[in-house]
Amino acid sequence: QETYTLRLAETWGPNFPIFGDTTKRMAELAEEMSGGRLRIRIDSANKHKAPFGIFDMVKAGQYDIGHSASYYWKGKVPETLFFTSMPFGMTAIEQYAWFYHGDGMELMQEVYAPHNMLSFPGGNTGVQMGGWFRKEIKSLEDLQGLKMRIPGFAGEVFAEVGVSPTNIPPGELYTALERNTIDAVEWVGPALDLRLGFQQIADYYYTGWHEPATELQFLVNKDTWDKLPEDLRAILRTAMRVSAYDMLVQSQHANAEAWANIKEEHPNVQIKQFPKDVFQAMYKANKKLLKEAAEGNEQAARIIESQEEYLQKTRAYTDISTRAYLNTMAEVE
Amino acid sequence: MIGMIMFIVALFMLMVGFPVAFTFGGVALFFGVFAEGMDLFAFMPFRIWSVMQNKVLMAVPLFIFMGVVLQRTRLAEQLLTSMGRLFGSLPGGLAISTILVGALLAASTGVVGASVVAMGLISLPVMLAHNYDKRLSTGTICASGTLGQIVPPSIILIILGDVIGLPVGDLFRAAVWPGVALIVLYIVYILILTRLKPEMAPAMPEDPTRSRQQEIGSALLAIIPPLALIVVVLGSIFTGIATPTESSALGGVGAVVLAIIYRQFSFQMVWDASKDTVKVTAMVFAILIGATAFSMVFSYTGGDYLLEDWLHMLPGGEWGFIILAMLVILILGFFIDFVEISFIIVPILAPIAEAMGINMLWFAILIAMNLQTSFLTPPFGFALFYLKGVAPPEVRTMDIYRGIVPFILIQILVLALIVVFPGLFGMSATN
Amino acid sequence: MRWIIKLDEGLARVSDLCGWVACVAMVLMTANVFYDVVSRYAFNEVSIGMQEMEWHLYSVVFMLGIPYAMRTDGHVRVDVLYTKWSNKTKAWVNLVGAFIFVIPFAYLIGTYGYDYVLDSYQMGEVSPDPGGLPYRWIIKSVIPLTAFFIAVAGLNMATFALRVMTGEKSYEVEHSGGGLA
Ligand code: NA
Ligand code: NA
Repeated sequence: QETYTLRLAETWGPNFPIFGDTTKRMAELAEEMSGGRLRIRIDSANKHKAPFGIFDMVKAGQYDIGHSASYYWKGKVPETLFFTSMPFGMTAIEQYAWFYHGDGMELMQEVYAPHNMLSFPGGNTGVQMGGWFRKEIKSLEDLQGLKMRIPGFAGEVFAEVGVSPTNIPPGELYTALERNTIDAVEWVGPALDLRLGFQQIADYYYTGWHEPATELQFLVNKDTWDKLPEDLRAILRTAMRVSAYDMLVQSQHANAEAWANIKEEHPNVQIKQFPKDVFQAMYKANKKLLKEAAEGNEQAARIIESQEEYLQKTRAYTDISTRAYLNTMAEVE
Repeated sequence: MIGMIMFIVALFMLMVGFPVAFTFGGVALFFGVFAEGMDLFAFMPFRIWSVMQNKVLMAVPLFIFMGVVLQRTRLAEQLLTSMGRLFGSLPGGLAISTILVGALLAASTGVVGASVVAMGLISLPVMLAHNYDKRLSTGTICASGTLGQIVPPSIILIILGDVIGLPVGDLFRAAVWPGVALIVLYIVYILILTRLKPEMAPAMPEDPTRSRQQEIGSALLAIIPPLALIVVVLGSIFTGIATPTESSALGGVGAVVLAIIYRQFSFQMVWDASKDTVKVTAMVFAILIGATAFSMVFSYTGGDYLLEDWLHMLPGGEWGFIILAMLVILILGFFIDFVEISFIIVPILAPIAEAMGINMLWFAILIAMNLQTSFLTPPFGFALFYLKGVAPPEVRTMDIYRGIVPFILIQILVLALIVVFPGLFGMSATN
Repeated sequence: MRWIIKLDEGLARVSDLCGWVACVAMVLMTANVFYDVVSRYAFNEVSIGMQEMEWHLYSVVFMLGIPYAMRTDGHVRVDVLYTKWSNKTKAWVNLVGAFIFVIPFAYLIGTYGYDYVLDSYQMGEVSPDPGGLPYRWIIKSVIPLTAFFIAVAGLNMATFALRVMTGEKSYEVEHSGGGLA
């Protein structure tokens, strides 16, 4: 029987926790389930040197599979923005439901098809933290001119309410925050933030709103996909889906551990939530930007509409189930 | 195995004397096309784009520009000769001054191409003009130019922090004492050497019309402006006005302002400085691009897997492991650059070290010290190429290769000290 | 022979033009970074567009500088053997090197770089960050353009080598980037 060796390029460096574990797990699963007929060789960013070239490399067939995040391609294909996580959007469970049982998957393939690729959910970080701030944000006023490292669409929302999004190379982020070159940094969540050491230099750790369920992606070159036999495609699909699920639970686990560590070893860190007026302003800004994105872009409009409709329905159920339960627990404890 | 053969071929081709950058690129092309086909080179635009977007490397042209302006306006010369005068009849004053200026620059950048070239521009002409030995001069400059790799901020430490998963701040703090130890030992070496062979680094000629007090007074006065510039650069980093990369632009603008104050300014001067900067910057980046093609072919033909296999054969035992790991990195440093080493070797060594209960901070500092050495070891030490690129023709490649040896030995000595007496540097070997 | 000289001088002008553009970019880049620092620190104003302009200019500096430095023989060589050789031998080294190393290398980067730019152009790629610069293909096109100019400078190396072989020119210092310091 023929064996297939697929080359996978990931945005992350070697040994990058959680994200990198996801690709390794996917490759192992695929190989095991196929009895060795499907092999996946992983190249990390140190090898291909193009963390943000995954889209182009998989599109051109230089790699068969990519592991990255859809919203990175927003500058190339604006509609890719919607398949990672949206401010004030769905939680991970809700979003997976939209992908697998709502219209999510179909819409995503529609966006990627013209680029000769398929995209699959690639693992979720859970709710990302709102960032490290050196000063407490007490009102909308405090955000005016605040210099913050916050990329992408969330950066645009922040910009709408007066923040100055600032580009700092990741290597200089720590120094820049430590010396007040910038006032705040958004990264991921406790497990990954801990590695960069922000807890040593910033006291206020804000809860998230901008990326409630950051979903990574597996990009698969369409020609590669087509040449795989039916059973190996099913194996690959399953391996991607299981490893994506596993990343969500690993994130939960690793973040809980890291947060326990921060609480114990860095008592200076305080968890904060933005004040109500800030949230309201950002909520409005988000709506406005979405409206702008939908204008004159039929595809974007359909995706936004699908997400909004789905969110409404699914949230109503989350409210009477998960939220109700958490509320109950809060009262009991 | 192709990767290994490629190294040997590249070594021979370099000796022919065709420009280093294109020799790397050309050898990579032959092996790459032979082993993988032309399409392998479809990765090159991505790799070049990564360099283009790497804002930290912007420090290279900006720093060089500062260096060129300081050199063209003779302010650098003034700084170094005045510092040298402070040493009076003691030989080696210029070399020690060079090390001290190098240490200051090291604290403001972590990019080796930037600091070595800037140091070369600032101090090589002065040292040669004062009849310093060529080898001693170039060795001192390369060594003090690479100090930036261990003295924070430093790219090596940032990369290691990322690969091992240690907070950058902890690494920066831990690297301070090893950096200081290097600086001190370099100076001690110069003092001992010039005691034995004063003719290698003659003392500055004395001005018979002036007393020693006057000498010192005028020297101090002359030091102030260029030193003020360096203080501005460093100060802007420490106060957070600028990131380390941005501070180098402040340095360039500051140098131009100094030129205006000293009536050395002209638009022609700025234009010429910019031309020199472009040439030297291009020389540095051409090597980077040639080398990235080289490392691309090396890893895509399986060189990285081969290295991994070799590493897994390292024997156990804490001391045996540490010593062999250091030896492997040192030897690899002769051939491949520090980024490749950090990303190929360290991910394999780190979990082994962690399992042995070795203190990872200490381990990381050992690796960083070791990687710093890799910039200096012939034949592929990039610092050596960079300095050669700006040196006058009478300075030969072999002068630079030989001149660096004592400094490499000092680095190995400090490395050994950190291994044996981690307490001296405020660290411990185990958790 | 006359046409070789004409060609050599013509090619040299192309590299000088690259150098001129790179020098202008160098001055602009220093001013750009300085401006960004001052406006952020003194006026608390940050423009992502201006921050991106920094590395756009920086890319032009080092990329277009490469052919320029080739023209002025500014790329570092290992001189263990090279300095001992006669002008004729040096000319052979440069002639052969230009055709087997420089031009093929530039050709591969150029063709793949062209595809890279074309893709970006067709997608209408822009910066993904808020307030970032549009028309990514422009800055990406520096890659194939530089490759083209490196090939031109490589040809220039060859024509100069031919002039040296006939004895009309000679290599004065082994590389003129040297002596800067
Ligand atoms: Na994030
Ligand atoms: Na440094």
